[in-house]
Amino acid sequence: MMLSPLSDKTRLIPSAILAAALLSPLALSPAAAESVTVGQTFLASGLDPADGSTGWALVTHGIAEQLFRVSQEGEVVPNLATSAEQQGDGSWLVELAPDRFFSDGTPVTATLVADALNRTGEANASARATAGRLTFEALDEDTLSVTSEQPTPILPSILAEWAFPVYLETDGAPLFTGPFAVENFDAGTAIEMVPNTFYAGADTRPDVTVRRIADGQSLALAFASGEIDMAFNLPVETLSMFAGNDDQSVTSFPVAYQYMMWMNTRSPALDDVRVRRAIDLAINRDDLVTAARAGQPATGAFATAYPFAAEGPLPQDPDMAAQLLDEAGWTMGSDGVRQKDGEALELVLWAYPQRPDLVTFQPVIRAALADLGIAVTTQVTESPSEVASSGEFDLFLWAQHTAPAGDPGLFLSLFFETGAARNYASWSNTAFDGLLADLRAAVDPQERIALAHRAQELIAEEAPVAFLVTPEWHVGLSARLAGYEPWGSDYYVIRPEFGTSQ
Amino acid sequence: MTHLAAARFVGMTGVSWLAAVAASFLLIRLVPGDPVEVFISHVNIRATDELIAAYRAQWGLDENLPVQFILWLQGFLSLDWGVSFETGAPVSGELFQRLGWSAAIGMGGILTALLLGSALGFFASIKADGLADNVSRAMAVAGQALPAFAVGVVALWVLAAELRWIQPFAGGTVERLVLPIALVAFFSIGSVSRLVRAGFAETTQAPYLRTARAKGLPFRIAVWRHGRRRAAIGLLAGIAPDLAWIVGGTAIAEIVFGVPGLSERVIDAVAARDYPVLQAYIALVALWIILGLQLCSAMRKALDPRPSSAVAKA
Repeated sequence: MMLSPLSDKTRLIPSAILAAALLSPLALSPAAAESVTVGQTFLASGLDPADGSTGWALVTHGIAEQLFRVSQEGEVVPNLATSAEQQGDGSWLVELAPDRFFSDGTPVTATLVADALNRTGEANASARATAGRLTFEALDEDTLSVTSEQPTPILPSILAEWAFPVYLETDGAPLFTGPFAVENFDAGTAIEMVPNTFYAGADTRPDVTVRRIADGQSLALAFASGEIDMAFNLPVETLSMFAGNDDQSVTSFPVAYQYMMWMNTRSPALDDVRVRRAIDLAINRDDLVTAARAGQPATGAFATAYPFAAEGPLPQDPDMAAQLLDEAGWTMGSDGVRQKDGEALELVLWAYPQRPDLVTFQPVIRAALADLGIAVTTQVTESPSEVASSGEFDLFLWAQHTAPAGDPGLFLSLFFETGAARNYASWSNTAFDGLLADLRAAVDPQERIALAHRAQELIAEEAPVAFLVTPEWHVGLSARLAGYEPWGSDYYVIRPEFGTSQ
Repeated sequence: MTHLAAARFVGMTGVSWLAAVAASFLLIRLVPGDPVEVFISHVNIRATDELIAAYRAQWGLDENLPVQFILWLQGFLSLDWGVSFETGAPVSGELFQRLGWSAAIGMGGILTALLLGSALGFFASIKADGLADNVSRAMAVAGQALPAFAVGVVALWVLAAELRWIQPFAGGTVERLVLPIALVAFFSIGSVSRLVRAGFAETTQAPYLRTARAKGLPFRIAVWRHGRRRAAIGLLAGIAPDLAWIVGGTAIAEIVFGVPGLSERVIDAVAARDYPVLQAYIALVALWIILGLQLCSAMRKALDPRPSSAVAKA
């Protein structure tokens, strides 16, 4: 068969395509340099911070800001406010920072802040979680009086919670004060943002599109295809795709979602502190990090980025562990399982698939405890809160953000105080409860850090929980974002310096 | 008679739908995991009794189940589908925004499968064990044997990441729909083609085809002209399982290719025990499948007006 010769017009087509291909990078490059696309598995579902957890998403996208925020160093620092001072009657005076504006140029005033945060407090129960309902009153244009239903010495930390972004209600969508302003909101798909021209340094920022890609594998492939400049939280198994790639890199960073293992003190064997401590000592945290292929051995309840994190590695000492079990009367049986009064030392270890790393840990911990003479069977549940609350477990692997608002008090009281709603280990310690009462009253940051350290020591001594690993997340970055440094877990992904001169 | 048939159609559809949504309403609530607990755990806030009670009241979970169901049903029928536990946004608004994407993928997938599968089935019937017949058989086996999720990821890797022929995430609407529709269609083409092939193949053995050939009609045209009604009837009878696949396949396609459709939203809703979203989704899916089945049945009867007893004897 003979191919028919091309007509002149047809012959021009390949040439035109070739020319377009050669010219297109030149034509597109200026525009491309001014826009950045971020891929994430989550996206704000709306723009009203009073709805559900929308406030958190708006802050993490760089759209909204709170009066206070948590810094890279894990400290609560002023943001739209400059200071907060407690008054003799327990109320607080909050001074606003000067020259801050909403994205339409409206100045941020105490009246507008009070209107927004009072509305949120009314509509969103999450804003009433830590100290009950907060009431905001504008004393003048720059000063707010804040009263709380329950007295609190840590109002700045509460105001750094995700439920408290500042916004301006309009006839349309609310307006915010963050470094980026919403240009187009396509629910569930993408948010197109432009620099907020009333935020300092706007001319150095690119346009940013945040695109939702729910599946981690697809996120990695979208990054590999060059469709996105940043892939936030890549699955660890996809990282090898980017090894040796000059145009794309992966940065890993520790996050505050600590992995831990509850030890149920209602379980007959675990009622004995020596057994709990033996289990804690038997676990090799480096093995867990290896199993998860990322992370750092935990030093205590908090990631090491926080000033109140415990220092130094947690000990691993199988010999001491065996000695403690001997002292507790659990002697090694001929079948390799310890026994006491004819009862074998058998425990059930739970995990949940929503955090795959925890399921990965199960065989590692099972092996470590088997060496010690403890027979462990493993269970997986889709409903971790339900099983943990029921108390029907021996050991339970758990993931928890332990300082979402930059303060140690919430986690320690919620999970360890006698009778607390989420004291899954059902642990009770008078000294610890007294320490928490001191922590609740302490105002001085250094005193709060010292009390948090002491609280973690008490927990380590009695081991109602074994803190295991501080996990790491992985962020894929194109060459244009190579200088981006992730921190703050998923609370502050897009920040004022995002994409500027990097 | 027409009015009677219409009333029967509406009645059957309504009763079936009501039974499906009532059963799903109960089943969703039997799944372990309290929505308030899940939400509080997810957003890292202090779970006081007052807070839990406030959320339960806000979300209507403090009513007994029959009352909850009646309130939901009233709301659904008046297009007030409640508010998402997770996002706080009206469910009807969220789902309507996504319905277009899912409908485009689902309908695009089934139409593509019907077109390509019918063509393949017709040519497969013309020559047994020919190329078309072998391709049809291979696609039917692939549709049963291959995991759709893996096929989607491989397509993404080859076409988007390696060859960079398409931008399934950042491209325009059409570009974003090509791969999802292709994925849904891929897994139905084989089964459609086998159903169509069977219908045409029967015709090739029929005595009236010999008559048609004797009149001088070419074989292909004779088979097409005299076999298409039989093939269509067989296709309508056998396509019912694909109505369910369209839902499942669309869900997989939405997840793999990051399309903001209904199913992609529902995955999150399952994890969050977001009852209003789940319930509305199931009600829509039930409506789609029941209407689809009824429609197939009605079309089959229109094409083959013989009573079912006569059809069985034939």
